[in-house]
Amino acid sequence: MHNQIAEFLNKTISGSNAVINLPVATVGDSSITVEAATILEVCKALKASSEFQFNVLQVITGTDYADRIELSYVLASFSKNLELILKAKLPRGDKFNLPKINSVVSVWSAANFQERETYDMIGVDFVGHPDLRRILCPYDWDGFPLRKDYIVQEKYLDMVVDPPEKNNTADQMFGKRLKEELGDPKRVSASWKDSSAGEETEAKDGE
Amino acid sequence: MTTHTEIINADMEDKIILGDQEVLKSDLLTLNMGPQHPATHGVLRVEIKTDSEIVVDAIPHIGYLHRCFEKHAENLDYRGVIPFVDRMDYLAAMSMEWGYALAVEKMLGTEVPKRAEYIRILVAELQRIASHLVFFGTYAIDIGAFTPFLYAFQDREEILRLFEELSGARMLYNYIWIGGVWNDISDDQLKRVETFCNKFEVELKKYHDLVGQNKIFIGRTANVGIISEAQAFDYGATGPVLRGSGVKWDLRKNRTYGMYDKFEFDIPVGTGEKGTVGDCWDRYHVRILEMFESVKIIRQALAGIEAGPVIGKVPKIIKVPAGEIYLRTECPRGELGYHLISDGGKTPYRLKVKSSCFTHVSILPEIAPGLMIADMVATIGSIDIVLGEVDR
Repeated sequence: MHNQIAEFLNKTISGSNAVINLPVATVGDSSITVEAATILEVCKALKASSEFQFNVLQVITGTDYADRIELSYVLASFSKNLELILKAKLPRGDKFNLPKINSVVSVWSAANFQERETYDMIGVDFVGHPDLRRILCPYDWDGFPLRKDYIVQEKYLDMVVDPPEKNNTADQMFGKRLKEELGDPKRVSASWKDSSAGEETEAKDGE
Repeated sequence: MTTHTEIINADMEDKIILGDQEVLKSDLLTLNMGPQHPATHGVLRVEIKTDSEIVVDAIPHIGYLHRCFEKHAENLDYRGVIPFVDRMDYLAAMSMEWGYALAVEKMLGTEVPKRAEYIRILVAELQRIASHLVFFGTYAIDIGAFTPFLYAFQDREEILRLFEELSGARMLYNYIWIGGVWNDISDDQLKRVETFCNKFEVELKKYHDLVGQNKIFIGRTANVGIISEAQAFDYGATGPVLRGSGVKWDLRKNRTYGMYDKFEFDIPVGTGEKGTVGDCWDRYHVRILEMFESVKIIRQALAGIEAGPVIGKVPKIIKVPAGEIYLRTECPRGELGYHLISDGGKTPYRLKVKSSCFTHVSILPEIAPGLMIADMVATIGSIDIVLGEVDR
């Protein structure tokens, strides 16, 4: 199926450069990488084609690699029962210069929330999105949490984020106390078992 | 669809031309429904612009329960992710776990023992009933009937008690593990499931007659919040919302997983029995019929279950080979997709969750304009969202 789709894309959209990525270790799914600049045309063509009919956009995943941001558009066809992972590679950019890609909201309305989430979490600017705001984080949050180099901001609206006195350390304290009081817990429980067994037999003997 | 900024600009102009006269324009009233609102089933805030009782625009604001589960997953080993997965859709934790376990098993090439497969189907379908019962109860409350809620929770309690015996927890189970399930189910428990099924089937019929055929209930839900087939596809709706719009699509049949291909059951769809196809009543009805189908599946699982081990061979330290997988399963609220990207290490490189509730929230601005405020409550209830899954 991937061969046909790649062929179809290369034939219909010039410059899409559709390449198939086979799974590395022969497990998992294959995907197709296309040129990021042509993503809108590619999506339009895939939806309109009578052969594939990708009528549903499932999800947009953004992944942060050391040298690039990779967007995965998972498309599905409910009429032909197909599934496709479509990939586009973008430069990482920085906080003031986010990587840009065309929005596909005009193709599937489902992309509206998915693109907002990708913008919020990974930091990709979707050109042509009707309402590109943060969606899960507060509107004035700083940084993009799912980037690998993300550092949690220390203060948000003058509130300290994750103050140490509010950390729940009950578990650690409990473990520490156990160790202090019982020494090696494993040894203690074993000896308890043995001694109680001894007591029981003694009691029986007494009877 | 009118966007956020356009509405604000429209508010600025206080005069409009009516005929040949310039008259004062009546303002739109902004109403915040939530985040603490009994009818939003959690912490969803919907900013509603109303013209008297009519909703002009609805803007959902989500994220109040955001814990960035995906970032957590990148720092946990593959087994450690499962308890976090539970906390997404806390009303259907078993189904959440199953999807994740399947994705990792497929990458590892692990074979799951037959008995474990049967137990998984058993608990997943029981979970579907429990989850739909919560919908049934709370939806009736949304509409204004309190009694059905008590009936629903009575039956749900029996399922939760069984799950508690199986896993030690009532809602967040950590029961389905990579390679099988944690604990075996006893014959006594299987017998209890059978007794429950026999009793529940009769009761459910009664509940449906009590609520679904009620004149007031039909009046409040039929022809309200209609999602057409085209809209459902456009917004990527799945599960009961898609089936309510008349599309016969169920992953358990169409892209089968587990052992569902050996089971016989129907896919109920909305038919517009009381109003239009895709209205609130249809979505309610689809869920009721699905519970009957779940009972059917459970009976077959009880008949087919065989003795054997419940967990397959899994390495002590799980290292998933480099690659990626997108796997979706049919959860009570719709399709749940896991996009797992691995670089060959002990932790996932990226784990993205496609949440059906998240998708369904995005339909609200499309179907809300033109509804009454009270119908808004009925519509939000009918798409049955769990905010833990929306915000992740």
